[in-house]
Parts: sequence; structure tokens; C-alpha cells
Amino acid sequence: MEVVGENIKRVDAYEKVNGLALYPQDIYLEDMLYGVTLRSIKPHAYIKVNIEEAYKLEGVVKVFTAKDVPYNHHGVVFKDHEVFCKEKVRRIGDPIAYVVAISEKIAKKAIEKIKVEYNELPAVFDPIIAMKDDSIKIHENDSNIIHHFKIRNGDVDKAFEECDVIVEREYKVPQVDHAFLQTESGVATIDKNDSITIYTSTQYPHYDIIEIAEALKIEHEKIKIINCAIGGAFGGREDITLQIHLALAAKELKKTIKTVYSREESFLSHSKRHSMIMKYKSGATKEGKLKALKVDIIGDTGAYASWAINVLRKAGVHATGPYEVENVWVDSYAVYTNNPFSGAMRGFGATQVPIAYEQQMDILSKKLNMNPIDFRLKNIFKKGSKTATNQILSEVIVIERCINEVRKHIDFSKKGSGIGAVFYGTGYGNGFPDVSKAIVKLNKEGKLELYVGITEVGQGAKTIICQIAAQVLSVNTEDIILINEDTSITPDAGTAAASRQTYNTGNAVKLACEKLKEEISKKIHSNNTNLKEVYKILDKDSLIKSATFTAKTTVMDEETGFGDPYWPYTFGACGVELDVNEKTGEINILKAVVALDVGKAINPKLIEGQIDGGFAMGIGYTLMEDLRIINGEIKNKELSKYLIPTSLDTIDIIKIIVEEEESSGPFGAKGIGEPVTVYVAPAILNALAHKINKRSYEIPITPDKIINLINSDKSKE
Amino acid sequence: MKNINLYINDNFYNIDINEEDRLIDVIREKINLTGTKEGCGEGECGACSVILNGEIVNSCLIMAFQADGKKIITIEGVKEEDLKQSFIDVGAVQCGFCTPGMVLSGKVILDNYNNPTKEDIRKGISGNLCRCTGYNKIVDAIYNTSNVRREN
Repeated sequence: MEVVGENIKRVDAYEKVNGLALYPQDIYLEDMLYGVTLRSIKPHAYIKVNIEEAYKLEGVVKVFTAKDVPYNHHGVVFKDHEVFCKEKVRRIGDPIAYVVAISEKIAKKAIEKIKVEYNELPAVFDPIIAMKDDSIKIHENDSNIIHHFKIRNGDVDKAFEECDVIVEREYKVPQVDHAFLQTESGVATIDKNDSITIYTSTQYPHYDIIEIAEALKIEHEKIKIINCAIGGAFGGREDITLQIHLALAAKELKKTIKTVYSREESFLSHSKRHSMIMKYKSGATKEGKLKALKVDIIGDTGAYASWAINVLRKAGVHATGPYEVENVWVDSYAVYTNNPFSGAMRGFGATQVPIAYEQQMDILSKKLNMNPIDFRLKNIFKKGSKTATNQILSEVIVIERCINEVRKHIDFSKKGSGIGAVFYGTGYGNGFPDVSKAIVKLNKEGKLELYVGITEVGQGAKTIICQIAAQVLSVNTEDIILINEDTSITPDAGTAAASRQTYNTGNAVKLACEKLKEEISKKIHSNNTNLKEVYKILDKDSLIKSATFTAKTTVMDEETGFGDPYWPYTFGACGVELDVNEKTGEINILKAVVALDVGKAINPKLIEGQIDGGFAMGIGYTLMEDLRIINGEIKNKELSKYLIPTSLDTIDIIKIIVEEEESSGPFGAKGIGEPVTVYVAPAILNALAHKINKRSYEIPITPDKIINLINSDKSKE
Repeated sequence: MKNINLYINDNFYNIDINEEDRLIDVIREKINLTGTKEGCGEGECGACSVILNGEIVNSCLIMAFQADGKKIITIEGVKEEDLKQSFIDVGAVQCGFCTPGMVLSGKVILDNYNNPTKEDIRKGISGNLCRCTGYNKIVDAIYNTSNVRREN
């Protein structure tokens, strides 16, 4: 019986389609109090907070500030966030106080009564200025540069001398928002034993517990997270937002507290995709061989580090694109400013660099008078290729196949056509322990209980995991009871990020199920015994199996960047045909084709859904989205002003799933949640340049900018 | 305080409301129908869509008293199982937060058109944002339902 590879219907679809799925904002409990957060309106200032007037309002229960938090720090890598700012705010939106009242309305009124005296400090919003020694500092560090990632491979200067063509360009991408539809929300309760339960939507519930316990100075065992239905995440739910506030209030007040963020507060509270300035110098020989690459990347992480180190590292590792280049020099910097903070967003640094490296490929090919596809294929990664970090790609590499698949549908000689070819490394990277755990248990009904702390953000993780378990144990997915939402009974499956859940947690689930299968087959030799019978016959303790999977990754050398940071790599190519209305500046995408490396498709329909969604998000990134941050302030904190694609902005696309099993993947599968968006922007930008003979080095390329581009004298390619 | 009558999903409710209560607040907090979601609070995302006297509206933009005496259908009252099943079958559901609004918009499209084109459907759901699916499978779900109905 085959379950893997089948279009099994999503296990959570019925609830969602009937409006029954419970998101945290849907929870209404008896005697619930409401919490509302006061946030900074200045980008950089010393503050004095006076809460007296707020207390005078009837119905206000408590106003929490920094002095109420036992350990007032949190952060995914550096603990540089304060739960509530004590003396200084570093960005607009920094939390200062949290009012708990008998109603949301009263809490909101009380917020307005809190007096915050801002003693403004000079602020820095430009990362290039922030990098200078004499810049004002955002934190108590000597420099605002929090990370400098380097690759030093070969002799770049000498190699450039041997190049026949060299292209130097600078590319800029803005900070953008995840704009998941469900704003942050949560409910916290406390029982007689002082155990706190938090109902929320998070990408990594087990890590939230660590952060909450640390801030409140209580034991991990005293906190439980129920990870409710999650209305999209895309990286924006990795950094903690309201979880500590809720837990603190429940602990101190011994009451149930609820908080729901408005859209505006959602924009203010979670991370952004890093804006980057990417300077590229690429050289090739007249035979069309890439020879040298020098890249300088500056990533603005805003007021807090979040995942900046990891994002700028990932950008650096992916700077070449899926191409062999013998001589590579990369400097990638993560820099603090007083802008909104940047962190994880779908693609995690590997989304920004293709905008540079794939446009460089087209410009180079034009200079070489070569077909851009042939030029790519001359340099493309193959089995045995070395990446810029000297990682040897030992698996079969399908990027050439992906490009050829796309080529079948798009005539790249036609004006207005363009390609984006990419690679994406799965996992946390750089030797960080990338671990997933799973437990499987046969119950007396003959059903398999699967305990795994996997997060369903909408990507289909629950369904994929059930399919993997069902395949190993030769049962239907209906026979799998997945328990994934309660941290007190599920083992840690790591975060729903880095496209790692199918691969990493899928492997852990597969291993646990294989152990159980082996246990059963050792004792029972007949294949016809049903699982209910098995339960009766065998020792119950032997029917519980757990497994851990840890991904391959090595720490990179600090000076050269050498190492094997990610495993596996996933590949993809996208081709588009577009038209430009030269009067209005509007781009009309006429046709789009995606060929995606998936290893093995556990559920083809779910993959198609990811491809469609990733494509739409790519359209938004390329053509529409920009937070319009001026002096640290987001000017469009509403969905009426921060525009994301509607059904009229997307098109039906041709989706080609390319299968070539990854030897270390569960049934050969790889993760694809992020790869599905990273090829879109370069494909559109290359198609645009092809159409109007002028190139955009910045996104989003909105109609007004296209008009300017068309009318500009600079037609440099 | 004001007293209003609402006919929601064929049930009659006589309820006291505040003047400033929005329809979405009453549906979610007084009638406990939490399938109606709030995504933006300004009528932009369509997660709060309900059908009011046959028309799709954003319940975050309508004051509760404006719905006095009117007939409302929320996701919990959608009887068209074929449409909902089609969403499940084609894979039109991901995070699920836009799904109730999309199903309701789909219902209104199918109520108004016997033979909608995919373009009609795209226009019909253009007031409902989705960040996960790229819309294509949602369009397919509604389109397929229409086709199957016609064949039957």
C-alpha cells in the first residue's frame, strides 16, 4: 500500500473549511482579563515611564513594566531584546508596558493614560553609516556590526585579471513583512499548582518555553504551550512577541489573560525580511566560464539581532547561485540600526541574493554574446561540484534538469522572457545541532499515536508526517493519531523553519516508526496480524519507540568560510513571460513555469500549493511590497497600504515536480517551503530587462518606477 | 445599549448591543461563531466576510445595529457541502485563516453565476486576501464545484 507519493487530503482541512479550527483569538474563557501593550513611538530615546494615571481608571488590574520582569531579556540568538524597555527604546514599536484590565477597551484607554517621557537620542537608519566607527551605537557594543561572514576561496584578484568580461553592479532590496493573515494572539491560564498554560500560535513552542522560563525565572516544567491553529508564519513567528507578557501576567495575577494584536501592532511587533545592499563583481572568460566573484552584502537588521547572523551567513553561502566559481570572495555584514528589526522570512537570506546573482548571469551572458541559458548550463552545479564554501555536492544534482524542463515551456529568445535558477540549503546551518525527536506508540485500538512537536503553520506538516508514519507501518493515515500541539506531552521537533520539517522531523518520525515495525516483526512473523491483535500479544512497553534525527552540518572556518553548512541543497528554476504597459508601467505576467527539485514528493498536491503560494509571495516581493520606512517608522502598517497580491495579481502557473531521491531524506524527500519563492524575483526582473532593454537593480519595481526606468537615459545592462 | 434582531444561519437572535459594536464583534463574542475571522479591521482582507441579505460584506466594516433585522450567513451556516469538499479535494486550504471568507465568497459567486469563468472567480474573490495559496487552487475549487453542479 502506497501512502507516500499520494495526494492524501490534508488532515486539518475539514476543520478549516468549516470555520472550526481554533486560532488563539477564538478562545473565550470565563473571567478573562485583557492585556494591551504600550509601544515606543520614538526610534531612539531614553524613557521615563509614569503609570499612575492608568491605575486611576476603573477596571485596570495591573500595569506591567520592566521592573516586574525577573530577567528582562530575550532573543533567539543574542538576548538583546528587553521584555519591556527599561531606560531606552531602540526602535518604534519597542514594548514599554503591558496593561491588564477587565476589558480590552479599558486596557486600551489605560495605555493612553501612561505618560512616557522621551528624551530623544540621535538615531541611525542607514546601515552604511551605522557601520562606521564613529556612528552612534544602538546597543552597548563597540560596533553596530554584529557579524561579518567571510568566504575566501582562491585568488580573486588574479582571477579577475584573467577574465574577458567583468560586470559590477549594486542591488538593493527593502525590508518587507510576512503579512500572515492571522495577527498574533494568545491566552494564558494558571492552575492551582502555579503551572502556566499559554495558548498561542508559534513556529517553535519548545523554544518559547525556554525563553519564557528564563524571563520569569521559573522552571520549564511550569510552562506548557498549546500551539493552536496558526494563520501563516513565514518566519514571522520565530521571535517571541506576546508570550512572555501573557505568562508574566498569568503568573502574577493568577488569572486568565488574553491578548490579540491589531494589524498595526502585528506590523510593529514581529521581525521583517532583511533589507540588503548587495555589491556584485562577476567575471567570466570569453568561453563562458565563470571565473571570479566578489560580493559585498550589507544587511540591515534594525534594532535587534534576531537571526541576523544566520541570515547574512546564509546570504553569503548562497552568493554564487547554483554555479561553480573557482575564485570567490564574500563579505557579508549584519548591522544594527534604529529601524524595525529584521529576522527570519521565507528564504532567510537566500531570497535576496538571487536578485543579484541571477541578474549578473544575464548581464554577463549579454556581454559574452551568449544565450543566457547556455551560459548558465556551462557553469551549473553537477554531482561532485564544489560550492563556494568547498562543500562537495555528492548527491545527484537536478538543477540542469529543472532548467531544461522550464525551457520546454518558455521560449527564452522571445522578448519579455526571463529565468531564475536557484539553490537553497536546508537546515539551521553552520554546525548548529539540528535535531528533531519523535515518539510513536501503538494503542489498544490498534491505532498509532504519534507524539511530535511539529508545527503546522499551513504548509501541511501534519499531513506529511502522518503519511510518512503510515507508509512505514503499512496503515492508512486515518490510523495515525497525531499529537503535536501540547508541549507537555510532545518531544521537541525543532522549529518550523529552514524548510526542515519534512526532512528533519520526517526522518525522526520514520526512524521511530521503523523501530516499532522491527519490534513487531521480531515477535510476530505473520503479516496478517492486525495491530489490535499485536497490542494484545506484545509487551506494552515495547510498543513505544522514540527516535532522534540530527541533520548533517559542520561549522565553517571563520576566515575562509570553508565547511558544509547545510544539508541537503534543493534546486529550482522559474521562467516567466511578461508584458509591460509602457504608458501605465504595469507588468502583466503572461505565463510562468516552475520546475522544482523535491527529492521525493510525499504529497504532490501539497507541493503544488507551496509552489503557487511561493510564486505569489515572490510577485509581491518583486512588484509591490515595501514597508516605506522613514526615520524608523513604517508608513504603511495597514493591509490597505501595505499591498500584497490579490487573486487578480497571480496567474495559473505550470508546475513541474522534479524527483530525484535524496539519500538522506525520508523516502528521499527534501524540504521546499522556502525554495518555492526564491527564484521568482530574478525571473521577473530578467524578463523585464529583456522586454524593455533596461534593468532594475532595486525592488519593488512598481509601475511608477517602471515608467521612470523606461524614460531614463541610462539603459545600461 | 440597543436591542436588535439578527437572523444568523437560520437562527433568530434578539440581542443587546452597544452602539459601537461592529457586526464581527457580535458574531464572534455574543453569538460565539468564531469561524468569522478578523485579519485587518479595515475591510481590506476579507477574513471577516459574511453574507448579508445575499451579498458578501466585511463584517468588520458594518456596525451591528446596521444588520438589525437582516439575514446573515456565516461559515458555520454554509450548507453547500460540495463547495467545502471541493476546497478540501483540490488542496485550496493551507493555514486556513482566509478559508471561511473564501468559501463564503465562493458561495456568492456560485449563487450569482451559473457558469463562472476562472476570471469571474478571480474577480469574485479579489476582496479576500490569502498569503499562503497564491489563489490558484481556491479558484479551481470554486470552478470545479460549478462544473460538477452543471454536469449533475
